[in-house]
Amino acid sequence: MTAVIETTSLSKHYPKGVRALDDVSIALEPNRIHALLGRNGAGKTTLMQLLTGQLVATSGDMRVLGDHPFENAQVLSQTCFIQESQKYPDGFRAQDVLAVARTLHPQWDEDLERQLIADFRLPTDRQIKKLSRGQLSAIGIVVGLASRAPVTFFDEPYLGLDAVARQLFYDHLLADFAEHPRTILLSTHLIDEVANLLEHVVVIDEGRVLIDADADELRGRAYDVSGRVDAVTAYVAGREVVAQQRMGGLANATVIGPIDAAARAELDAADLTTSPVSLQALVVHLTRTPELAAASR
Amino acid sequence: MFRTASVIRLHTQQRFNTFVLPFIILAIAFAVVLAIGVIANLSVDDPSQLDGMHEGMRWNGAVWSVLGPLMGFGFTAMLQIFPLSLGLGITRREFAAGTLAVFGIIAALFTTAITVLKSIEQATDGFGLRIRMFDVVYVGMGDWWQTAVQTFLLLLMAMFLGAAVSTVYLRWGQRGLWISLTSLALVPFLVVSIAFVVPGMMEQVFIAVGSVPWIGWMGIVALIGALAAGAWVLLIRRAPVR
Repeated sequence: MTAVIETTSLSKHYPKGVRALDDVSIALEPNRIHALLGRNGAGKTTLMQLLTGQLVATSGDMRVLGDHPFENAQVLSQTCFIQESQKYPDGFRAQDVLAVARTLHPQWDEDLERQLIADFRLPTDRQIKKLSRGQLSAIGIVVGLASRAPVTFFDEPYLGLDAVARQLFYDHLLADFAEHPRTILLSTHLIDEVANLLEHVVVIDEGRVLIDADADELRGRAYDVSGRVDAVTAYVAGREVVAQQRMGGLANATVIGPIDAAARAELDAADLTTSPVSLQALVVHLTRTPELAAASR
Repeated sequence: MFRTASVIRLHTQQRFNTFVLPFIILAIAFAVVLAIGVIANLSVDDPSQLDGMHEGMRWNGAVWSVLGPLMGFGFTAMLQIFPLSLGLGITRREFAAGTLAVFGIIAALFTTAITVLKSIEQATDGFGLRIRMFDVVYVGMGDWWQTAVQTFLLLLMAMFLGAAVSTVYLRWGQRGLWISLTSLALVPFLVVSIAFVVPGMMEQVFIAVGSVPWIGWMGIVALIGALAAGAWVLLIRRAPVR
């Protein structure tokens, strides 16, 4: 399938040897929800800013919807970029932003806009500088979802949102995505909260791609094992372990690697049970051990 | 085209702040000048005693109460509207086109207002009080059309300068801003320094400045404005969002 977002050896360097993004090559398929994960300062926002023409790349190439996005109105009119650090002019109210955003996105859905404003309890007539951090995030979410842009970038879209509002975002995203499939690139630190939404995951660390895999395939790279302490200890010996917990006579361990026939037999013999691993735990572990991530790519 | 219209809308979305507030500020400044005029008229026995005030008020800076904030429009355009525009998917070219239109609209609107008020002021001999607020050196003391040209060019120049300086900041940060501002200030600083040191040169500089005709000054203002506009258009092509 033709990639809707494609980068080839994309780099963004700054003076004093700062490599915000270094030789990044990814290809994201259309009409899927992709996650862009990584630690603070890993390069996630830089990548999104490059893909939306906000920054100029130092080297490499990129394509969004088949074309270079920089100063390309044709491409940018089909994208929507919601960034955590978005600044708004003094005195602007949410309704001022929405009034202009409505004119820029041909697929804008006003019914959905009204629904989202009501659900997030967004005071559209209050000055933005008087809004809470969560309400500020809600403006971005309303724009990002109501725009129905074929390619939507969400960069940490729910900073400051409470748990209820975050769940509302996930619910709306899933429901609207099901009815109007489009390409979503979502950067977040709350990996487990969005794990069920994700179809594909890109992990960036220190400007380089660490993991680029489908979410299901990634989850298959590790599994949780639980049972008696002695049985778990014996099973994990010689295996790559992400995390291990012990509670009384029982233990739980997260183990890297697929469950092949030999492992399955060993697990059954030791009366150990397995369960899917937490995507967040796996990403944290792979980020800490980049050589393992590279080896498993 | 409609995307450029969206840029214009972004700039003017706050209609009160853009179109009404400057007139309120102008009205307050005008009220103060009127009050001064009333007090001055009440305190003299002979109207000819107001001749000195009438002459001195050629340098009345009250008109800057509206011109000053408008000059800040260039800064606001780049530092506040530009990041949101790019965030909404507008290209730099579309932003520049829309901003250019807005600068023109604002300069034309306030030029019209000041030119009309100046004509009224002249026709009524300073609103019947011999005061000056619009018939002053900053916006031209000749015919109405000279005031129109001078105000329009002055406002455009100021807005382009503001936009250019802000774009230097976006491109190269505070260091770039200080280096460029210092470089620009170096030329007049050197001229004044040399004029001080060389005997008789200061006098010659004053004579030279005083002998520049109105059209010459307009040429200088237009040239500075054009250079600022050119620098702004060149720099914005690769300006990042901060």
